[in-house]
Amino acid sequence: MRLRVAAGGPAALKVLAAAGAAAAPVRLVWGGPLGETAAAVAAPLPGREPVAPTPVIPAPQQGPPGLLPPAERPLAQLSPTWVPALELDSGTVLFSPNAICQFFFLARGEEPTDLTNQWLEWEATELQPAASAALYAQLVHGKKGLEAVEALGKLLAHIEQNLSRRGTAYLAGDAKSVADVVVWGTLFPVLQDETSLPSEMQALRTWFQSMTLSEACRKAADSVLMPKALLEFKSYLQKQPPPCLAMERATSN
Amino acid sequence: MAAAARPGTGAEELALLEKLLGLPKGNKYGVQGERKVPVLQTNNGPGLTGLMTIAAHLVKQAKKDQLLGSTAEEKAVVQQWLEYRVTRVDGGSSKEDVRIILKDLNIHLEDKVYLAGNIFTLADILMYYGLHHVMVDLTVQEKEKYLNVSRWFNHIQHYPGVRQHLSNVIFIKNRLYTNGH
Repeated sequence: MRLRVAAGGPAALKVLAAAGAAAAPVRLVWGGPLGETAAAVAAPLPGREPVAPTPVIPAPQQGPPGLLPPAERPLAQLSPTWVPALELDSGTVLFSPNAICQFFFLARGEEPTDLTNQWLEWEATELQPAASAALYAQLVHGKKGLEAVEALGKLLAHIEQNLSRRGTAYLAGDAKSVADVVVWGTLFPVLQDETSLPSEMQALRTWFQSMTLSEACRKAADSVLMPKALLEFKSYLQKQPPPCLAMERATSN
Repeated sequence: MAAAARPGTGAEELALLEKLLGLPKGNKYGVQGERKVPVLQTNNGPGLTGLMTIAAHLVKQAKKDQLLGSTAEEKAVVQQWLEYRVTRVDGGSSKEDVRIILKDLNIHLEDKVYLAGNIFTLADILMYYGLHHVMVDLTVQEKEKYLNVSRWFNHIQHYPGVRQHLSNVIFIKNRLYTNGH
């Protein structure tokens, strides 16, 4: 299966982290709608982690615009804005980042539960729009610290309450699930500046740090964000229309 | 009025789904937040929140798990279209949003009977409920322009138990404009 991710596309982080966490054998294709550069590499295989950190995920490369490598069909035939995209061996293309993450976990036998479903739906409908707005405020408007994550306040509190009420280490129980990867992937770009994490949210801090330190998440963050930090995100976001939350949208045109 | 026929709140839609699944009545629903997200109240502990989440829960309760897909691939595809439904169809309100949704679906359904390919799933059911108010308002020409969506929609509305009290959307069998592309 081939996974296409856009360099600097924010959703790249969660799909790469999920592929790593679920040890999915994917071939990565970097590139946006215009160009694709095929880079055939397998993600880490199940089993022992290598001793030396090997770069399993190639650095982002932009392909020549408009040119496809010979014998490579373009991926998703749908709206070109749909990156990331996962092309399965059957030819089916998944274009939703959360469904891609879910597929990696399903493929190794981890079935969704009411709780993982609930976190994924919440992430797609509530967290994601707010996190995009917060990221935009940070990178494009230069807001810092707590001010930048203002829009996320209630949502961060929601995570904190759930973690502390259940008393579990992870969002959907004592084991890491697709829910943790999906929520972490959306929060990481916004919260990696430590001052953005409210200090009273202890359960959230502990969970977030343990996710950030996990092998799969660290590798995904390194390949997507470091060393150019968030410059990739910034240049991507500047090309996009400013995000607007669904509730703020006009009800008619 | 068209509005009266629309499964407006998530709770109404979930009631339709319960009936379709043959579940006994008795579940209590609330709504939460500005988007009026449905919440399934339970006797013990916090309820379940979100249309996708509750719908999948009801399907499992009715032991009709095949509606969620059988293979990992089908399950992911079903999830993807459920997510599309709650993020794009429910979030999109302008004419332009609707046009993009119909265009996306029309391309996707070009070579498929159902959203997940050859099997009827929860994604078809919830997409049908979510698009009903859109399809009711389409002109004859628009129905032809989005021919694959029209074919799929007509198929789903005739699927046993799905439509219930919702209005039947009429599709013409013979194409008016043969060079419609």
